[in-house]
Amino acid sequence: MAHVVELSVVPPPLPSSWSPPKPSGKSISPLVSRRLLPAGPAFLAHVRRVVHDLSFEEHDK
Amino acid sequence: MAANGAIPNGSADAPIDVSGSPNVVGINFGNSYASIAVLTKEGLSECIANEDGERQIACAISFHGEEIYIGNQAKPQLIKNGHNTIVGFRNLLGKKFSELPKDKPSASALIIQHPDLPDTPAYKVHVLQPAPKPLPPTTSNVNTPSASAMATPRSEPTPAERILTVSEVTTIFLKSLIKSAEDFLGKKVTGAVVSVPAWFDDAQRAALAKAAEDAEFHVLQLLEDSGAIAVTTAYGATPAELSDDRTQLVVDVGQSSLELALLSIRQGLAYSLATSTDFSVGGEQIDDKLIKFFAKDFTKKSKVPLVVCPAKHTDKRAEAKLRLAVEHTKRTLAASPGAATCSVESLKDGFDYTGTINRLRFDMEMKPIYEQIATKVRELVESASLDLYDVDEIVYVGGSASFPGLDDYLGQAFHEGIVTPFTTGTVIGGGVGDPTTILARGCALQAKLLASIGTGEEESKVRQAFEVESEWTKVKATTKTIGILFPEENSDGGLGGQWIPTILMETPLPCRRVHTFEVDLGEGDSKKVGFEVWEVKEGVKIEKVIPPKEEDDPEEVKEDAGDPEEDDDAEEELDVKEKTVEKETFLQSLSLEAKEATKVNGRWKTKLEVQFLVGGDGGLEISAWEIGKDGRGEKTSVSVSA
Ligand SMILES: Nc1ncnc2c1ncn2[C@@H]1O[C@H](COP(=O)(O)OP(=O)(O)OP(=O)(O)O)[C@@H](O)[C@H]1O
Ligand SMILES: [Mg+2]
Repeated sequence: MAHVVELSVVPPPLPSSWSPPKPSGKSISPLVSRRLLPAGPAFLAHVRRVVHDLSFEEHDK
Repeated sequence: MAANGAIPNGSADAPIDVSGSPNVVGINFGNSYASIAVLTKEGLSECIANEDGERQIACAISFHGEEIYIGNQAKPQLIKNGHNTIVGFRNLLGKKFSELPKDKPSASALIIQHPDLPDTPAYKVHVLQPAPKPLPPTTSNVNTPSASAMATPRSEPTPAERILTVSEVTTIFLKSLIKSAEDFLGKKVTGAVVSVPAWFDDAQRAALAKAAEDAEFHVLQLLEDSGAIAVTTAYGATPAELSDDRTQLVVDVGQSSLELALLSIRQGLAYSLATSTDFSVGGEQIDDKLIKFFAKDFTKKSKVPLVVCPAKHTDKRAEAKLRLAVEHTKRTLAASPGAATCSVESLKDGFDYTGTINRLRFDMEMKPIYEQIATKVRELVESASLDLYDVDEIVYVGGSASFPGLDDYLGQAFHEGIVTPFTTGTVIGGGVGDPTTILARGCALQAKLLASIGTGEEESKVRQAFEVESEWTKVKATTKTIGILFPEENSDGGLGGQWIPTILMETPLPCRRVHTFEVDLGEGDSKKVGFEVWEVKEGVKIEKVIPPKEEDDPEEVKEDAGDPEEDDDAEEELDVKEKTVEKETFLQSLSLEAKEATKVNGRWKTKLEVQFLVGGDGGLEISAWEIGKDGRGEKTSVSVSA
């Protein structure tokens, strides 16, 4: 199951002038390579998803 | 001493669920101390005491005549029987004889070149062998001779030399740990996760694995210390003050080393951002300072000169006695705020000694050590291009990290909200933050996890992922924090609205984050929800503030410029730090019409759920739903290509 984080913030109403800006077409910043510590249930879940090529939703089931 | 006899009475109280949960344990194998953890009925793990009542079991083996002492009983042998007492062997695993420093003086058994094996270090000890036949080498290496062995009358034992490799010593020791675990559980241990320091290379890991194999237990995994910590901290509830996405500093102060790790913890997935090891600070240095303190006190009280650390030849014995005695003093200091005593019978020239030290004095004596640790921490965080303010949590590991004074000292450099086991009160009484058991407990939990993986073909790849340097541990991670911005009318300065970080920098991919919160839609009837998705630049702003001079301090004014101390004081600026966030790259925006809004006190509100999905390649999908009476409403999604 997705881990849902409940936040206590309450965003304010939109300014009347706001309309959704067009997508910038930019991507997120370049990624880095890291090495996971092969430990814990989250790592096991990660491996299961990646090994079986499952999406988060598929893995939830 | 039959290890696999029938389950003894009282097994109903055995902490392992008898209904067939695996008999696996966790072993923290330090260079100086080891500990064992088992699983409880509740699925947690706890550190157990061995038959001597010790949870921290000294990595020491001593040969005394026909006897072999293993663990804490072997330590006092260092005084009278040092040349037959072996300590510090873990760090020699996988090392060649030619690689070892030769000049290190040692109170313990001499390390020699093995007579038969090329370039292999070995220990030579003097034992007594029962005559006439020597003991068969395969049997009672491990245990002190059993009563039955003594019962048969025989002739005098004969002195003999025994050569042991580092691996053999390790095997004897590990075997005794497993036996303690089996005695506790009342059944055979089927597998264990054993901790290793991050700096252990392939040869060292292989040597440890081999020694374990010779000790006849199955190593489920050699788990890096940081991995064990990640497991312990990922289990159970995250303290309310902490997020599941956080930066964790691990401060491990053992006997002979300081090991630091900076970890990115992201919903239980962890990796290391930086590590460092310093062999010049640890319990030994703490002991040195304490021993000096007490030796001085002894001289003052008895008028008998005693100089230690280093000690003259004639004072070596006294120093060794003090070294043993301060173990107790340190534990008392760590556990309770009152004064702690140190007592040694016949310390020197027949004089007994009893002295005390309180925490305040102790912390004063330890200040240089605390400072050295603080310096190493600063260097570590810098090496990861982060600021101390970026650290959310400190976790302490190792016996010498048990002192509240260390936490107080280090804590000053971090932001006020820094969470440590001392601030949350989980160190005392063997709580989850107890630095002396945290590694073993993590290993036991990991053992349980590994035992849960099936054995079939399907699962073999999953299993392999836990092997050293497995391909599956390689991941890509984000480098900037991504989040959502709810623009706000007339918002002055800052980001121009409500900022909610969703995917922190250093989050391994693929990842998913889901947040829910209420949105204020105002009084009007437009009921539109909208937000922008930004990548941000985070930093820490440091402002130098000169604190106002205290006016009623005439000394300061009169001060002549020559006095360096006062000079420093006058110029002393305080760093006032603050975390900063700046908008850097606009990525996308999302808007939807609220259909489930309700009016509360004249204002429309709705509950929103926002999901961020980042693929392994960095492609991003952002979705939002309203959460109404009947659950998720209609989904609106936008994406950002990789
Ligand atoms: N409760 C305690 N309070 C203070 N010091 C303690 C406590 N328990 C153990 N120590 C000290 O901690 C040290 C042992 O720490 P630890 O068990 O972490 O060692 P280790 O990991 O085997 O050491 P090394 O760094 O040599 O590999 C010893 O110096 C011991 O005296
Ligand atoms: Mg250690």
